[in-house]
Amino acid sequence: MARIELVDLTKHYKQGKNLVRALDGVSLTIERGEFVSVVGRSGSGKTTLLDLLGLLLKPTSGRVVIDGVDTSDLRDGARALMRGERIGFIFQEFNLLPTLNALENVMLPLRYRRGKDPQGKARALQLLEAVDLADRMDHKPAELSGGQAQRVAIARSMINNPALVLGDEPTGEVDSETSMQLIDLMRKMNRERGVTFVIVTHDMEIAGRTDRMIRLKDGHVLSDERVSMQTAAV
Amino acid sequence: MIEILRNLTRRKLRTGLTVLGITIGVLALTTMGSLAEKSNSLIDGGVRYFRDHVSVGAASNGGFGGILTIDKAKDIEKVDGVQAACAATGSSVKTDLDLSFSFGPGDQVTAEQPGCQQYSTFKFSYASGHPIDDNGTGQVVLGSDIAKEFKKKVGDSMELPQPPKKFNPDFVSHQFTVVGILDKTLTAPDNFAIVSFKDGQTLFGDALPTALKGHVDPTQLATGINVYAKPGVDLDKLANRINDQVAGVKAIPPSTLVQAFQAASIVLTGVTTGSALLALIIGGLSVINTMLMAVTERVREIGLKKAVGARTRHILREFITEATIIGAIGGTIGLLVGWGLTTVINVAMTNNNQAELFLLTVRLVILAILFAVGLGALAGVIPAARAARLDPVTALRHQ
Repeated sequence: MARIELVDLTKHYKQGKNLVRALDGVSLTIERGEFVSVVGRSGSGKTTLLDLLGLLLKPTSGRVVIDGVDTSDLRDGARALMRGERIGFIFQEFNLLPTLNALENVMLPLRYRRGKDPQGKARALQLLEAVDLADRMDHKPAELSGGQAQRVAIARSMINNPALVLGDEPTGEVDSETSMQLIDLMRKMNRERGVTFVIVTHDMEIAGRTDRMIRLKDGHVLSDERVSMQTAAV
Repeated sequence: MIEILRNLTRRKLRTGLTVLGITIGVLALTTMGSLAEKSNSLIDGGVRYFRDHVSVGAASNGGFGGILTIDKAKDIEKVDGVQAACAATGSSVKTDLDLSFSFGPGDQVTAEQPGCQQYSTFKFSYASGHPIDDNGTGQVVLGSDIAKEFKKKVGDSMELPQPPKKFNPDFVSHQFTVVGILDKTLTAPDNFAIVSFKDGQTLFGDALPTALKGHVDPTQLATGINVYAKPGVDLDKLANRINDQVAGVKAIPPSTLVQAFQAASIVLTGVTTGSALLALIIGGLSVINTMLMAVTERVREIGLKKAVGARTRHILREFITEATIIGAIGGTIGLLVGWGLTTVINVAMTNNNQAELFLLTVRLVILAILFAVGLGALAGVIPAARAARLDPVTALRHQ
């Protein structure tokens, strides 16, 4: 579980001669065990926000503090370690390794940990059980449907018992019925394991199933509100 | 590791061609290298053989065709520093003109005056049988290559010289009994058939041109004199003294011969091994190319690995291992094919009564394996560094 503080977080890019203010002074606090959605049009800065939270990008200014650890001063190696041990990732296009079967894909992050994890395989099997794919553990990604592949990716994001899981359009590649199954699965992981989730989506129905919806526009927070039960029901 | 092996099979044709490139390089290295090793061993044999004594021949190679008389040995023995001067004969085992490609002097029937072996530092050991009776006739001791070539063992009889393929009315041969076979020395004596001096003179006399035969007494003839020095005497200086003091002979300082042998050895090794290494380096370039393509194809996978915690060294290690495995597979196949090829050719040469061409030494095998694996690893460095430097965000969004 993680408490995340974003303090005056800014990310500027140079694109040719223009300065792109992808994120411009965002301050937020995400509490432990929250399930947060970030919405906004393309170019609003939501993906940049996720990349900064995932320590994949370094901010131009401002700080990302995860459980009291200010990540801005960390070197690349330390950021990679923290990603591996504290943060899980779910991507729009699943990003499973094609040469590995489902079980091996779930176990991939174990490879880059410090030291061996004797319980790793048992945890991977238990996670595949939890995403209802125990019978598909020998299958390669090419033999799985989109929904199944994303369930493998969800299991993979949980393998190192992360504090935080980040989802970049996790339901963007599947039909709406599968989308609902996936979001329910993530919510189940969030509730049962107390893991903080932050997902970027443009699907309001998905956003409506989260605890809190942060709306971004032009690199600023436009609104930040609790999702009421009515919204959720829509 | 499983993933690395499966990655190799993702592009089977491409991986196969790259492995083939290394295979050809290592094949070239093992065959060319073992050719050089064989000649080096013969040359080393020559060096050891010629460092042992001073070879003395007739002064002019014209006229009598380099024939000496044995009384010259007596004259040489009077020179200061000489321990013994032994007349010797040498003639060909085969009477056909040997046009085969061979580095050695060819199969030689050699003989030395009785009692001379004791002066030589070049001692023979016997794989089977025993030395010839120095004063007897009709006995022969065979070097290991010659024994293999003619498939002879102790107790067999052997015709010397071997009859020509085409009928020759002037051909004369004698029956010998094989009494001993030498251990392999990897040097000149492997191609020797050693007979008593008396027999050596007879064989040499038979081989003389018809015009000469009636005019000379074979029992007075020798093709050379092996001069053994007293301990501590410089052989080069001794050779010069012999030239100064004895008329009608030509003593060759051993260092001249040794230098000539070694120069030939360096050039041959350089040319053969150099061309083979060139082939291998081209193989290495194809590994670089293949691995660069693999990195380009797997940009997103690299991005994912970085996202889930892989650090620079993990990515480096994975790609370098993959390239090293390509090198190791290519190297192993190349070595096996090279071993098979050189063995088959050697057996064929032996069956054809010719000397072996190749010598695949342990150091050559180690060199080939180390080179293939090292080259693979080295070729993996540039692509792996490119992969490891990728920015995770750019890599993850790569289309």
